[in-house]
Amino acid sequence: MRTIDGINDKIRQGKAVVQTAEAFKAHAKEQGVAAAAAAVDVVVTGTFEPMESSGAMLNLGHTDPPIKLLECYLDGVPAYAGFGAVDVCLGASQPAVAGRGADLGDPEAVREHGGGHVIADLIAGRSVPLQATGHGTDCYPRTSLETTITRDTINQFYLFSPRGLYQNFIVGVNGGDRTLSTYLGPLQPRLGNAVYANPGALSPLLNDPDLEAIGIGSRIFFGGGVGYIAWEGTQHFPLQRRLPNRTPIGPAATLALIGDAKQMRPEWVRGCYFKGYGPSLMLGVGVPIPILNEQVATHCAVQDADIVAPVMDFSIPRRVRPTFGLVSYAQLKSGSITIEGQPVRTAPLASIYLARRVASELKTWIEAGQFELAAPVAPLPQDRAFLPQDALGG
Amino acid sequence: MKKRVKLIFPKRSVHMPITYRLAKDFNIAANIIRAQVAPNQVGTLVVELSGDIDHLNDAVDWLEVQGIEVSGASGEIVVDEDLCVHCGLCTGVCPTRALTLDSETHRLTFSRSRCIVCEQCIPTCPVQAISTNL
Repeated sequence: MRTIDGINDKIRQGKAVVQTAEAFKAHAKEQGVAAAAAAVDVVVTGTFEPMESSGAMLNLGHTDPPIKLLECYLDGVPAYAGFGAVDVCLGASQPAVAGRGADLGDPEAVREHGGGHVIADLIAGRSVPLQATGHGTDCYPRTSLETTITRDTINQFYLFSPRGLYQNFIVGVNGGDRTLSTYLGPLQPRLGNAVYANPGALSPLLNDPDLEAIGIGSRIFFGGGVGYIAWEGTQHFPLQRRLPNRTPIGPAATLALIGDAKQMRPEWVRGCYFKGYGPSLMLGVGVPIPILNEQVATHCAVQDADIVAPVMDFSIPRRVRPTFGLVSYAQLKSGSITIEGQPVRTAPLASIYLARRVASELKTWIEAGQFELAAPVAPLPQDRAFLPQDALGG
Repeated sequence: MKKRVKLIFPKRSVHMPITYRLAKDFNIAANIIRAQVAPNQVGTLVVELSGDIDHLNDAVDWLEVQGIEVSGASGEIVVDEDLCVHCGLCTGVCPTRALTLDSETHRLTFSRSRCIVCEQCIPTCPVQAISTNL
């Protein structure tokens, strides 16, 4: 039906027909999938949600005399320095430690500050204090460094999210009798609230459930800049059980993403903190799906009512948590679900408002000819197992 | 007219039947929005006072004479539009549905009149966009 090269020709001529996932679903519902597939070249999807498995790679540039970093703190947050001399990696969920250069005041403010905030500060153009020690070698004699950096005073600054996109997720509830502080925010006791963390039918990977139209090397919107699908994500589990429409009934495929943080914009990269859990990073990610054939279009036409997620009870802190069954994203977005006969309020953690804005911004880029699709250089694996880690011996 | 105030009682005034005196002496209805009162402790009461404007002013003067601190800006919840990402996490903990997501736009909306200033949304917000204007 279409090729990526053919779509790119149309993008260059300003003739590509681009629709957001929501507009395409409405189009397909009204005129049928075949007609929608014939009319539309690209469907743009988007999300804006916490992606704590994210980090930034930085190369600081060499000092004189030069240093091989041993320990490095960026605004009080430890960065991993076990690479070449002045390469560091700052993880989004790494909390600050007191007394390492962060001027944050009380201990609570230190706990609430993390790698995600520092990454967001750098992307916003703010300067960040750096404190480091060196190994002190013959070639790198310097043993300490105290300075400030900005995104413009370092060589490389790119974001790598080992688990950037999640195909579906869970819904968290708390069947216990005390409030729980979780990565989904506070879960109130006795099923006081339910939190879902995926924007449903607008979400990138639920529109391409079998990862047929995207792969390693696909170009994406990443934090307001251009990024790429780098690899399968950590905990990639495409073998999750699926509905007949191929969407998974729980967390399934994941993708690792990479992109130049110097091009990113602060509105799409936000440091955040979950009370009693830790710091994280919220990112806007948009994926264009080329309508290569009618099957891709059928998958893009999926609606919130046809996608489900499992409701998990966080009061049992075990690897396998008890479940209250499956609910649809249409139910979740209505604001209330029923669990064991009891109405429970639902709240999202993914911003549907900003997910829509990601999709419409990417649509504008493509229509303006600023963003072409990239053909995958390799497919994403379809057969990864989901291994538990059981301690041996001991 | 209506006036929302925060009253801070010193220990010695906690035993006073304040809302009764407001009703009987000043003809003012005091709708308690939030209260934290215990014997021999500093008490806090957020109330919406409704009545005639002169009576309201007289009542506030009387409260101050009793040693009760009256604060007009009674800790209203404020959402910083520049920081809010409209994730909606706060809507799940708001007991009065003062914080909701618009069903069309999915933008966060805050209805001040429904807010009881319970402050549960403040620590819930992952981007620290919610505070009280105390």
